[in-house]
Amino acid sequence: MNNGDGKRLNGEAEEEDEDDLDGEGREAWERTYTDERSWESLQEDESGLLCPVDDKILHHAQYRRRLRSLSSTTTASRIQKGLIRYLYIVIDLSKAAAEMDFKPSRMAVVAKHVEAFVREFFDQNPLSQISLVTIKDGVAHCLTDLGGSPESHVKALMGKLESSGDSSLQNALDLVHGYLTQIPSYGHREVLILYSALSTCDPGDIMHTIQKCKNAKIRCSVIGLSAEIFICKHICQETGGLYSIALDESHFKELILEHAPPPPAIAEFAIASLIKMGFPQRAAENVISICVCHKEAKGGGYTCPRCKARVCELPAECRICGLTLVSSPHLARSYHHLFPIMPFEDVAPTQHKLPKTCFGCQQSLLSSGSRTTLSVTCPKCRRCFCFDCDIYIHESLHNCPGCESLRHSKSVNTAEA
Amino acid sequence: MPQVRIIARNFMDMVAALPAMKLDHLYQNAFICEAILRSLPPLAKKYVIQMCYIEETIPSKSLEEWVLPDGLSKHRVAIDRLLQLRIFSESFDRSTGTSYRLNPTFQENLQKLITYGAVLPREPMPSSVTARLPSLQELENYAMQKWECFLLQLINSAQAEKMTNISPSMMRIFQRGLLTQRDKEAPRLTESGFQFLLMDTNAQLWYIIREYISNSEEIGVDPADLISFMLELSFHETGQAYNMNTLDEIQRSTIKDLADLGLVKLQQGRKESWFIPTKLATNLSVSLTDSSSRKEGYVMVETNFRLYAYSTSKLHSEILRLFSRVEYQLPNLLVGAITKESLYNAFENGITSEQIISFLQQNAHPRIAERTPSVPENVMDQIRLWETDLNRIEMTPAHFYDEFPSRDVFEAACDFARESGGLLWEDSKKMRLVVNTEVHLQMREHLRRQK
Amino acid sequence: MASAPSKLYADDVSLLVVLLDTNPFFWSSSPLPFSKFISHVLAFLNTTLRLHQLNQVVVIATGYNCCDYIYDSSSATNQSSGTGMMPAFCSNLLEKLDKFVTRDEQLEKGGQEGGIASSLLSGSLSMALCYIQRIFRSGPLHPHPRILCLHGSPDGPEQYVAIMNAIFSAQRSMVPIDSCYIGAQNSAFLQQASYITGGVYLKPQILDGLFQYLSTVYATDLHSRGSLQLPKSVGVDFRASCFCHKRTIDMGYICSVCLSIFCMHHKKCSTCGSVFGQAQSDVASTSNKRKTPDT
Repeated sequence: MNNGDGKRLNGEAEEEDEDDLDGEGREAWERTYTDERSWESLQEDESGLLCPVDDKILHHAQYRRRLRSLSSTTTASRIQKGLIRYLYIVIDLSKAAAEMDFKPSRMAVVAKHVEAFVREFFDQNPLSQISLVTIKDGVAHCLTDLGGSPESHVKALMGKLESSGDSSLQNALDLVHGYLTQIPSYGHREVLILYSALSTCDPGDIMHTIQKCKNAKIRCSVIGLSAEIFICKHICQETGGLYSIALDESHFKELILEHAPPPPAIAEFAIASLIKMGFPQRAAENVISICVCHKEAKGGGYTCPRCKARVCELPAECRICGLTLVSSPHLARSYHHLFPIMPFEDVAPTQHKLPKTCFGCQQSLLSSGSRTTLSVTCPKCRRCFCFDCDIYIHESLHNCPGCESLRHSKSVNTAEA
Repeated sequence: MPQVRIIARNFMDMVAALPAMKLDHLYQNAFICEAILRSLPPLAKKYVIQMCYIEETIPSKSLEEWVLPDGLSKHRVAIDRLLQLRIFSESFDRSTGTSYRLNPTFQENLQKLITYGAVLPREPMPSSVTARLPSLQELENYAMQKWECFLLQLINSAQAEKMTNISPSMMRIFQRGLLTQRDKEAPRLTESGFQFLLMDTNAQLWYIIREYISNSEEIGVDPADLISFMLELSFHETGQAYNMNTLDEIQRSTIKDLADLGLVKLQQGRKESWFIPTKLATNLSVSLTDSSSRKEGYVMVETNFRLYAYSTSKLHSEILRLFSRVEYQLPNLLVGAITKESLYNAFENGITSEQIISFLQQNAHPRIAERTPSVPENVMDQIRLWETDLNRIEMTPAHFYDEFPSRDVFEAACDFARESGGLLWEDSKKMRLVVNTEVHLQMREHLRRQK
Repeated sequence: MASAPSKLYADDVSLLVVLLDTNPFFWSSSPLPFSKFISHVLAFLNTTLRLHQLNQVVVIATGYNCCDYIYDSSSATNQSSGTGMMPAFCSNLLEKLDKFVTRDEQLEKGGQEGGIASSLLSGSLSMALCYIQRIFRSGPLHPHPRILCLHGSPDGPEQYVAIMNAIFSAQRSMVPIDSCYIGAQNSAFLQQASYITGGVYLKPQILDGLFQYLSTVYATDLHSRGSLQLPKSVGVDFRASCFCHKRTIDMGYICSVCLSIFCMHHKKCSTCGSVFGQAQSDVASTSNKRKTPDT
């Protein structure tokens, strides 16, 4: 709609330069329209007038389908998730990473979403650790050691964004294998490869390396940025990982974030064990003491319950007695995986008197002139919620406000859990 | 850069300018206390609330203990404001230093307000008398229409379709300062007139009210009474009818004028007549900081400097014409372009780039407003660049000295000029220097002494 | 998720969601009578509304058997005028509160064990967060929300997971949870909530001066908090409670599969059913893997 008339008006501007590369030749302001595809969100109403598509219901239905498929896999068995993960993120920085099919380049897109992923990962897996590995000039190089601080990873990655040479899957896997065999047995060993190249340039037999990884119980997943490659698929099949190809940037983001929640624990992969941990208390701000990590006197900080040494940050390992120190909120961050709330059910439109407002946010549930219902109900407490609350409750809150505010249903809830 | 600003954009400045006696008198009205409280800086609000039930003086030290180092400037501003409005009274004691106390009248009214709420001097009329009242939407449309009509008449009396009932003399008072008229020419907007148009509704409203009040002052009405009436009006409920009988003579004539501005709607029943406050009236006591009265925007700016405005209002098109070239106009859409020429035109009229940018941002179409930035960066930068283009040369009146008898005298003169902050340029090889005019006299004196 | 605060909206406009503890078991034993407490709170709410014409207050009652909204200043009509005895909104609120307490009582089935029972903080907290999300959704112009828990009942260990979930969700959307604890012992839940979300936790020493505490500390809008020194935490209890006996422990065992906390060594995890190998974390041997088919 806007394209044609915009072109004509801008006729005098030199625009024919690079028109052959499709999309490249457009003016910046035209591109914002083509990228958004704003005309697709229009439809005609009965009288032929244009009106925006009400995609809320559609969107919500999709979301619910996904939720249900997720919950059916988890509730089938008792939930066992690998919550202590050791993840190596391998980033391909070969020549192919400089391709511009993702804007501004594959490499930049990967870096941007890895940053988001790292933060999300630590939010969901508080006791896990990440390390970054890059492949460049056919050599794999460890960018950061295994660690639990998102900032240091992000910082290291942003400083190293250059691409050159070929990429080598075998070198990367060998390197990661070397590191991952040293971690404790209860940890889940994982590799996530973000692969831009269409080939791998290896010094030896990669099949041999794949077998080695398989034996070491390393779960390898690959997200490709170009086309599907047999060897990647083979790696994932052999080691039980996921192989996916990103279609565009938003799809890539979706794919990478799928790796943030802990994978179902396959008992073979890691040995369950009880780990001894300490829960230090936070000292008051005005109690000054010398910490063992920086050797500085300051207020605040945490005291190791076993040896009474002071540390500044959690989670940490006590430098004196070696006890793993965590705060209970760290652990609690992952408890919603253990006690998931049931997906809400659709409300039959014929159902006897519906409440007028959403139980969660008090928004009106009465829609004007819509045939489909705008509310869902919790199967346990039978309270009605609006779509927005439904999504918020399942994605972020992980509590059903209805069940939580009823004493008897609550006892049922905890008994089941 | 000349920065002409129309001051007194809200009632606070007006109140603060009142003499002490009047101010104390004003504080006897609970509504004024509330309106003042609302409009204080955030920190000042906190201090007032905190001290609401404390009847002794508080040393300034104990207030400062709460303030973080970063917040010290804000703390100063808050305290200054409170002192200026005489809400805090200052006292000095040698042992404890400066200490503050809340104005007793203000404090008493505040306490009453918190525990009992405030009571309006008049009740809304029962619906049995008033039959059908306009809906809120109707009322808002009415107010906006009235106000726009007024503005259009204000800037260009020929353009307005419907004339308001405001007397030409009153209109001339409002136009004073906004328009200039040379004989036999059409009146032209002045610099402040242009700026006035780019302000948001609330600021415009207060500019007009201020003119109105200062005009009434000339004919012998106490400005404090008017201010307090206006503020009281702002606490009435939008859309409710209030009986005219509850007003006194002056207030009744005031309210008729306000009706012409769209602040209230007057209605006549069988026996009685009543007024209905609109959004404009209830926004009177809204403080300056939240000048956005949640108006829907209508302007879209693209990165190619094109501008689309979805609006039917003549006033909007007049405003957009101030700084853009209108290309075509459809019944509900106006398409224009921001060009160098159109902007130079605007700059010549005294509009600054920041005003234009903030106008575009504040009136961004809802679909655009969701984005950040709502005005494309290249457009914003270019507008600023074009403005700085005009300001490449800066004129400073100065004096030029040369033919110094010796290097020592020259250097002493240079040092002297530097110390007094007036040295603009020096050429030590040829022993010449230029100083600011302000320092010229001292400089001459200095050189004489040297001799 | 958290939308950036818009500059167009004034910095100090706030949405205050107050969670009011109405647990009858607590108030019957409290040194401060409920009626007095309410009068302090009402004055505080009124103050908040007076501070800015766009300020919004929502009150949610936290009962023993249920929770419900009892006041929302944005939907209330007739805001400006009062009856002369008390601000108009109060009568409205008190009426709703009265109904709520009666209903809460009707739901009571007896069977309360010794000590003061906890009230359903997790429920009201979840509701408050849902409400705040709605405000976030309403567009780029919204008031800055914060939650104030006026709580007196002791913590209910069975709500631990739910409350923690709510706290993390609040943290993610940058909503501070202030807590004013009126009960006898410090509340570890509320201490953690305020610490994690960047709110203020305070246990007033003199309950008769509650209004002064509320107006001095909790009336401060989020914008001003950047330049003020509000009361600092006097240590936060970060100890966990074990899943097996609900005991508070400072050292314990963690299941590596599901992170459940136990106070002593078990053979099998009661939460996820994993069978444990060695207890020592540092002994790693791949040979003695165990399967857990029994789930």
